[in-house]
Amino acid sequence: MRTEQTMTLEIFRYHPETDSEPYFQAYEVPYDEDWVVLDAINWIKDHVDGSLTHRWSCRMGVCGSCGMMVNGDPKLTCAAFLKDYYPRPIKVEPLVNFPVERDLVVSLDGFMEKLQAVKPYIIRDDVNDTTGGEYRQSPAELARYKQYSMCINCMLCYSACPVAGHEEEFLGPAALALGHRYNRDSRDRGRAERLDVMLAGEAIWGCTFVGECTVVCPKHVDPAGAIQQAKAVAAQEYFKRFVMPRGAKGAET
Amino acid sequence: MKRSGEAFWWALFSAGGVMAALFVPAFVIVTGFLLPSGDAAVAAERAAGFAGLVGWWPVRVALLGVIALSLFHCAHRIRHTLMDLGLRHLSGLLKLPCYGGALAGTVWAAMLLRAL
Repeated sequence: MRTEQTMTLEIFRYHPETDSEPYFQAYEVPYDEDWVVLDAINWIKDHVDGSLTHRWSCRMGVCGSCGMMVNGDPKLTCAAFLKDYYPRPIKVEPLVNFPVERDLVVSLDGFMEKLQAVKPYIIRDDVNDTTGGEYRQSPAELARYKQYSMCINCMLCYSACPVAGHEEEFLGPAALALGHRYNRDSRDRGRAERLDVMLAGEAIWGCTFVGECTVVCPKHVDPAGAIQQAKAVAAQEYFKRFVMPRGAKGAET
Repeated sequence: MKRSGEAFWWALFSAGGVMAALFVPAFVIVTGFLLPSGDAAVAAERAAGFAGLVGWWPVRVALLGVIALSLFHCAHRIRHTLMDLGLRHLSGLLKLPCYGGALAGTVWAAMLLRAL
C-alpha cells in the first residue's frame, strides 16, 4: 500500500567510461510496504535516473539475476522488503568479490568459468542412445541430489564467502555444490573426471567451512554441506588408493 | 589435473574434530572435576581405580588415538587460520611446524602413556 512517506536508497554508482572512481548517490523513493528493494530500484530507473544500471528478470526468486549487497548483506533484491529497513536508509551495492562492470552490475565471467569447470552435466558414453528409453530413477535416487539441483546461480554465496574473495583457485560454493549434485546422480558416470577437477589444488580445499554460503542461500541448497560431503568422498578415495591400488578411481559409491 | 594430497590432512582434521568434540569435554569433566571432587580419601581411592583402568593397554591405545587426532585437528585449524591471515603462499611450508608439532605432541603423549 502506497503511503505519503518516502525512504532513501543510497546506491553505488560507477560508469567506467566517465567515472574515475565509484561513488554513492542518494535517491528518495515512495515508501510502499509491499515493495521490495528491486521495485524501488526499478522506480528510480523509470522515474528519476534512466542511467542507473542493474540486472533483474523474474521478480520472484527464480531467475537469480537481482542479487546485490543490501546494507552489506548479499540478498536477492526481489526478496528484500522495504518494510524490513524502513525508516532507515538502505545502502545498495553490487555483489562483493566480483569485478564491477557498471553501477550494480558485476562481471559473471569468472563465475561461469568455475561453473563449467566442474562439468555440470550428465557424463556417460551412451548419452545419445535413446532406443532403450529414458533413464529411470527411483524417488530415493532423486532425493540423493535434488536439494543440490535447486541452485539458481544467483552468486550470493560467492559474496558471502570470505575464501572466494581471496583464493582464485577456489571453485566456490555454487560450483562445488553443482559438481557434487552430478556426482550423486545415479545416471552419471563422470564422477572420477569431475573429482579430478574438484580435488586439484585449492579448488575445494580452500573451503574452511565458514558456512555463510548456506546462511545466505535463497534456495536452501546448503552448499557448505555439499562441500563437506564432497571432502569426505575425497578422503575415502584417497585412502582407497592404498587398499585398492587399481580400479578405485572409477568405483561408484 | 592432479588431485591434492590435502585429503589426507583433512581426514585427520575431520576425525580429530569428532574425537575432540565427543571425548575431550568428557575427559576434562571426569579427570578435572569428578575424580578429585569431595572427600580427599574417597578421591584418592577413585584416582587409584582410574589409574588401574588406564593401566589396561587397550585404554591407553584409545587415549592415544583421541589425543593424537585432536592434536592433528588443532594443527590443521591453526595452519588454515594462518593461511587466512595472509600466509596463503606459505601453505606448504606451514605444514612442517603445524603437523610436526602435532606429531611431536603425539610422541610425547605416547611416552607419557607408556610410562604410566
